[in-house]
Amino acid sequence: MSEFARQVESLRPQLLRYARSQLRNDAWAEDAVSDTLLAALEKPQAFGGQSQLKTWLVGILKHKVIDQLRRHTREATILSQDDETDVDELLFDANDHWRDQPQDWGNPEACLGQRQFFEVLEACMEHLPATQGRVFMMREWLDLDTDEICKELAITSTNLWVLLHRARLRLRECLQQSWFASRGQTA
Amino acid sequence: MRFERSCREVTRLVLESQDRELPLADKLALQIHWRICDGCTKFKNQTELMREAMKRWRGYRDE
Repeated sequence: MSEFARQVESLRPQLLRYARSQLRNDAWAEDAVSDTLLAALEKPQAFGGQSQLKTWLVGILKHKVIDQLRRHTREATILSQDDETDVDELLFDANDHWRDQPQDWGNPEACLGQRQFFEVLEACMEHLPATQGRVFMMREWLDLDTDEICKELAITSTNLWVLLHRARLRLRECLQQSWFASRGQTA
Repeated sequence: MRFERSCREVTRLVLESQDRELPLADKLALQIHWRICDGCTKFKNQTELMREAMKRWRGYRDE
């Protein structure tokens, strides 16, 4: 095995973790990563060395992950079986006021400077219901705009707004419970 | 045109503003609501913190 191939192969576990977090399906993730490694090993000259090898591979992976989403959207499983809980009902009373007032999360730098905060953030993303997690990651990791996500998943914009809305509220709730509540006021 | 919004509506608008540019009337309604509502102001700050967190997370992940 060439040194290049060895380096590419050594990044496989990390790429697989990334693909899983986006696709929420082990078999699709394996395929996306295999496609990525194959593309990299077939055209090593495309890696100009201007960026880190990992950055280059992640760039390829994002395209392969979108290919997988596109392919499996046709199986029509992407929207089914997701959590239908109306998070709004838990947050707001009959008069549309907060049941519990949002807390002060303090100075952002107090948490954003800590590695553990990002571990909690990732864990919270992984706890999102599968479809909410997929669309949230498409937006935040694949950096697709809402029209592109609707197109790739063949869903309506109404569907998408509901999914993003719920994903963000759940993520906030998880951060509140798993990070901010246990640390009290940091301001 | 009405500028009064409930906390629930304001929350929806704040979250939508993460993914699209809001119409001017909605932006104005938000400013008016935040002046009188401490809970929604805190929610807005939480959303901004999450936005910055996601930006940095993306940087850590991709580099």
